[in-house]
Amino acid sequence: MKYIFKYLKPFAFLAIISPLLMIGEVFADLCLPRLMTIIVDYGIYNGGDVSESVLGSTVMRIVFGEGSYSSMQVIITFGILMLLVVVVGGCFGVLCAYTAAKASQGLGNALRCDAYKKVMSLSIEQTDKFTTGSLVTRMTNDVTMIIDFTEMLLRMIVRPPMFLIGGTIMLLALDISFGFVMACALPIMLIMIILVLSRAVPLYGVVQKKLDKLNSVVQENVTGARVIKAYVREDYECDRFEKANSELRVINEKVLMLMAIMHPVLTVVMNAATIAVIYMGGWQINNVAGSGMSAGTIMAAVTYITQVLMSVMMLTMMFQSVSRAMASVKRVAEVLDTDPVIVSGDKIGDDSEVAVSFRGVSFRYPEAMGSPVLSDITVDIKRGETFAIVGATGSGKTSLVNLIPRFYDATEGQVFVDGINVKEYDLHTLRKKISYVMQKSELFSGTISENIRWGKDDATAEEVAEAARIARAEDFVNSFNEGYDSYIAEKGASLSGGQKQRMSIARALVRRPEILILDDSTSALDLATEAKLRDGLKRELGDTTVIMIAQRIASVKDADRIAVIENGTVSACASHEELMRISPTYVDIYNSQMKSGGEAV
Amino acid sequence: MNNGQPRGQMPPMRMAGRPGPGGPGGPMGARLNKEKPKNTKKTLKRLLKYIGGSKLLLICLVAIMLIVTVSDLAGPFLQGKAINTISITESGIHVDMAAMTGYLAFMGGMFAVSALMAFFQGILAAKLSQRTVYTLRNDLFRKISKLPIKYTDTHKHGDIMSRMTNDVENVSNAISQSITSLISSILTLVGAFSMMIYYGWIMALIACVTIPMTIALTANLGKFMRKFFIRRQKLLGQINGQVEEMVTSYKTVVAYGKETDSVEEFSKMSEELRKCSISARVWGSIMGPCMNFLGNLQYVLIAAFGGFFLLNPGIIPFMKPLLLGDIQAMLQYSKKFTRPINEIANQYTTILTALAGAERIFEIMDSADEVDDGQTVVEDIKGDIEFKDIFFSYEPGEPVLRDFDLSVKAGQKVAIVGATGSGKTTIVNLLTRFYELDSGKITVDGVDITEIPKETLRRSIAIVLQDTVLFSDTIRTNIKYGRLEADDEEMKFAARFSKADGFIERLPEGYDSLLAESGSNLSQGQRQLLSISRAVLADPKILILDEATSSVDTRTEMKIQQAMVALMENRTSLIIAHRLSTIRDADVIVVLKAGNIAESGNHEELLAHGGEYYKLYQNQFAGIST
Repeated sequence: MKYIFKYLKPFAFLAIISPLLMIGEVFADLCLPRLMTIIVDYGIYNGGDVSESVLGSTVMRIVFGEGSYSSMQVIITFGILMLLVVVVGGCFGVLCAYTAAKASQGLGNALRCDAYKKVMSLSIEQTDKFTTGSLVTRMTNDVTMIIDFTEMLLRMIVRPPMFLIGGTIMLLALDISFGFVMACALPIMLIMIILVLSRAVPLYGVVQKKLDKLNSVVQENVTGARVIKAYVREDYECDRFEKANSELRVINEKVLMLMAIMHPVLTVVMNAATIAVIYMGGWQINNVAGSGMSAGTIMAAVTYITQVLMSVMMLTMMFQSVSRAMASVKRVAEVLDTDPVIVSGDKIGDDSEVAVSFRGVSFRYPEAMGSPVLSDITVDIKRGETFAIVGATGSGKTSLVNLIPRFYDATEGQVFVDGINVKEYDLHTLRKKISYVMQKSELFSGTISENIRWGKDDATAEEVAEAARIARAEDFVNSFNEGYDSYIAEKGASLSGGQKQRMSIARALVRRPEILILDDSTSALDLATEAKLRDGLKRELGDTTVIMIAQRIASVKDADRIAVIENGTVSACASHEELMRISPTYVDIYNSQMKSGGEAV
Repeated sequence: MNNGQPRGQMPPMRMAGRPGPGGPGGPMGARLNKEKPKNTKKTLKRLLKYIGGSKLLLICLVAIMLIVTVSDLAGPFLQGKAINTISITESGIHVDMAAMTGYLAFMGGMFAVSALMAFFQGILAAKLSQRTVYTLRNDLFRKISKLPIKYTDTHKHGDIMSRMTNDVENVSNAISQSITSLISSILTLVGAFSMMIYYGWIMALIACVTIPMTIALTANLGKFMRKFFIRRQKLLGQINGQVEEMVTSYKTVVAYGKETDSVEEFSKMSEELRKCSISARVWGSIMGPCMNFLGNLQYVLIAAFGGFFLLNPGIIPFMKPLLLGDIQAMLQYSKKFTRPINEIANQYTTILTALAGAERIFEIMDSADEVDDGQTVVEDIKGDIEFKDIFFSYEPGEPVLRDFDLSVKAGQKVAIVGATGSGKTTIVNLLTRFYELDSGKITVDGVDITEIPKETLRRSIAIVLQDTVLFSDTIRTNIKYGRLEADDEEMKFAARFSKADGFIERLPEGYDSLLAESGSNLSQGQRQLLSISRAVLADPKILILDEATSSVDTRTEMKIQQAMVALMENRTSLIIAHRLSTIRDADVIVVLKAGNIAESGNHEELLAHGGEYYKLYQNQFAGIST
C-alpha cells in the first residue's frame, strides 16, 4: 500500500479529483429512482397531481408555472429530466474513468520503468536469484494487476460506500420500517459471502498448482518428443496427462460448485428482501393511517434495497482484489527494494605493466554452502599476454574470470585491473576495458551488424566488417542474402552454435578491448577454424591481453601461459611444454583427449 | 569430426527446446493473432460437437435455464399484480391484502424455484464446461503424442504450449460463462419481449425502438475499442520480450554497459503502453453510460406512452386497456431488456476469442498423424540394418542424403563421422522413422521398416541423445522409462552398469530423489549417465548413441565412456561419434560428406587411405601432439 501511495503522489490531483467525479455519477444514480417514483406515483397513478410531492411540484412549477398539470406533462417533464440526469451522470462517469485511468496508468508506467531500471542496476547474482520468468511476470502481470487495482480503487472507492449510505438514507427516508428488512438481509448476505469465499480462495492456489503440473507434462512431452517416441511411451505419457487433467478437473469443479451456491443464495436474499418490502408497504397502507405509503414508494424502496445489497457485494469483491493486488505490490516491491550488491567506484584507471592481477582471491557464491569455489588464488597476467585456463567443470574457471569485470565480487582478497582494485573503479570504465565472450553466446533480435555494433555503438561499417573478418564470421555472413543486414530472429536461433560464437567474438572485437576474455567460447568451432581464429587474434590484437578458458588442449597449447585450476586453486601455471612435465593433472587431461592415438601421426 | 552442430541440417530443430511459456506472461505473443477466427462457422460447429458430447447434460442445462428465465421473468409480472392490488378509491388508498399476500407468496415460491434451479444451473454448467475441456485437453494431448517429430521440430514449442494452455483456457471460459449467459440472455430477451406483447403489441414496438440503437452502439464502439486492445496486447508482448531478452542475457548487457540504453528503450515502450492503455480504458468506460442512457430512454418512452394509453384507452385498435400495474410491470421488463443485449455484446468478444482458440486447437488436431501402418510381425529382431538408395530432404530441393547406402551387420559398431550438415543425425531420424524417406528403403533383418509396426521397431532401438531428456519425476521413474515393468533390482542393476549408481546413492534420497524440470538440478554428465541407464534397462538390439560434444569434466567423461562401451557389447550400434577413442574402437567408420558416404573402413585402413578421414583426423586430433 505504501508503494501505491508513493507512486500515486505525482498524480495526486487526478487521484483526488477522480473519486469526486464519481460522486457526481453516484448522485445521478441515486436520483434516478426518485424521479422514476414521481413518474409512477404522480404521472401515472395520481393523474398528474404533484401537490403531495415537494420535488414534483417544485420542478413542475419551474417548468410550467403554477397550476395543475396533466399526466403526460409530468411524465414527459420528468422523463426528460431523467435523461438529463443520466447524461450528466454519464459525463461524470467518463471523466472519472479518464482521470482514474490517467493516474493509474501513470503510476504503472513509473512503477514499471523504476522496476526495470532497478533490474538493470542489479548484480548478476541478484538477477539470477530472481530468475527471468519471475522478473517478466513482475514487470508485466504484477504491474498490470496493480494498475487495475489502483484504477478500480479510484473509481470504486466512493461508489459502494455512497450507495450503501445513500441508499440506506433514502430507504429510511421513505419509511423507517424498511430498515428492519435491511437489518435482516445484510448480515445473512455477509455471512454467506464470507462462508463461500473462505472456502473458495484457498482452492484457487490448488487450481494453479494443478495447472502448473499439467503444463509441465505438456512441456516435457513437447521438448522430449524424440525420447518418448523412441521408447514408445506415448500411452504412458497420455495416462500421465489424463491423471493430471482429471485432478485439475476435479478441483476446478469444486471451485465452480462453490460459486454455483453463492449466486442463487445471494439472489434469494435479495428477492426475499423485495418481497418483504412490498409486503410491509402493503400492510402499512391498510393498517397504519397516514403512513404516506404508496405504490411508487414501494417501488423506490425495492430499488434502494437492491442497490444497498448490491453495493455490499461489490465491497466484498473489492476486499478480495485488495489481497491479490497486495501480493502483486509485494512482488514488485521486492524488486524495487533490492539494492545492488556491486557498487561502482570512481577511479578511471591508468596504465600498468600488469593487466590483471589476483591477490589471495577466494570466492564463494552467495548463500552457497560447502567449500569455496576459489580459494587463495594469486596470479598476475601481463599486458599483451595470452593466458589460458584449463580445468575440470566446476573447478572455478568461469568464476575466476567473472571477478575481472566485477560480475561478482571476491569474497576475500583483491582483484586488480591495470593496477587498481576493481572495487574502486568506475564500473563503466572498467567494463569498457574488457570484452567478455560467454560460454553461451547471447545474441539479440536484430540485424547482424546491429548485433556486432553492440560492442561499439558508433562502429563504422568497415570496423564491423573488420571484426567479423578476424572472428572468421565474414564468410557465413556474406553467404546470407542480405549480408550484414540479415535479421537474426529469436536470439539467433537460426544460426548454428559455431556461427553464434563467432558473432559474439566479432561483437567483442569491434570495441578493441584492452582485455579479451574468451570463456570456452570457441567450443563449437572445429579445430581448423579455431586455429585460424587464434592466429588472427594474435596477429591483429597486438597488446590486447587475452584470457581464455578452454576444454580442448589443442585450443590452449599455444598460449603464453596455461593455468591449471583444480578444486578452486591454481595447481600449476606454465607453458604447454612445461606443464607436460610438471603437472600430472594437465597430462591427465591431455591423455583423456588424445589417448594414445595422437602420436600415430 | 566437426564439433559444431551435431544435429545435421534440420532447419529449425529444437531438441533441447526453449523453456516455453514459463510464467503466465509467456505466451503473450501468441495472443496477438487470435482476435478473429478464420472460419467461424466450421469451428463453431466442431466445438459444439464437443459440447454436445455430453448431450444429456446440455439438454438438462437448457431446460433448467428455461425454468430459471421463466421464473425470473415472472417476478416483475407478479410484482405488478401485487402492486395492482393497491387501489385508490374515494375513501383513499387501499390494499387488497389477501390478494397481495397471495401474489407475494407466489412470488416467493417462484424465487425459491428460480434460486434452486440457478444452483443446479451453476453445477451443470460447471460440469459441462469441465467435461468438455477435459475431453478437449485429452484429445489434444493424445493428438500431440501422435504427431510426427517433424511437427515438433518445425513448430515453436511455446506456440504448441500456448494452444494447450491459453487456448483451451479461453474455450473453457467461453463454455462456463459465455454459453450460459448467452442462452439465458436470449431466453430473457425472448421472454421479456413476449411479455411486452402480452401487454400490447404497440408497447412491445416502442420497447424495440432502442434495440437497433443498442446494437449499433455496441458494435461500433466495440470495433473501436478492439483496436486499442489489440495494440495494447502487442505492446505488452513487446515489453515482455524486452524484459525476457535483457534478463536472460543480462551478463552480456552488463559486460557491454548497455543498461542505460535498454532502460531508455524500455521507457519508450512503457510510455506508449501507458498512452494506449488510457485510450482503451476511456473508450471502454463510455460504453456503460451510453447503455445506461439507452436503457433509461426506453424507460421514459414506456412510461410516457404507457401513461398516454392509460389515459386514452381505445386510441389504438385491438389493444386491451392498460392498468397501472401493467405499466409498472412493463417498466420492470424494459430494464430486463437492455441487460441481455449488453451481455450478448460482451460475450461476443469472449466467444470470438474462444473460437479463435478453438480453431488453433483444431489446427493441431487436423495435422496428419505419424504414419504407422506396418503389419509385419517381427519377433526377436537381430539387428541387421540396411540403407538402400536413400534420398531424403527436410526442405524440398535441399537434399540431405543423396543415394545413400549403408549396410550394418548385427552386433557391429559403426561410427558415423563427418562435418556439420553432412547428414549424421538424419540417419538416426530415418532409422527410427522420426522422418519418412523421400525414396529408397531401410530394412531391419531384411524387413522394410515401413512394414514393421512402429512400436516393434522402436522397442528394438534405444537412443541416447546428447541433449538428454529427463522428466520431473524421481530418478527411479526416469530410469524405468526404459522399461516400465522392470523391477527395482533390474533398475538398480542398470544404474550400476552405467556407473550412475555412485552419484545417485550420494543423493540424500537416492533413487527417490525428485528431479527438477528437465533434470536441471543434475550436472550435464550426471544427466547423460541417467539416460545411459535408461537405455541399459531397455536392453535393445539396436543402439543409437549421439556422443555429447559439450564439456564434461574428465572424471565423469571417463565414466560415460566406460558405460557406453559396456552398453555397446553385443548390440548393433550406430554412433555419431566425436571422440577419437570411440571412433578407433568402431568396427566400421563411415565418413559422411554432403549426404553421401565418402569412405568407410576401420581406423587403420582409412588413415592409410589418406582420404577424407585422414584430413578430418589431422584437423581434429593430430594437431594436439605436434
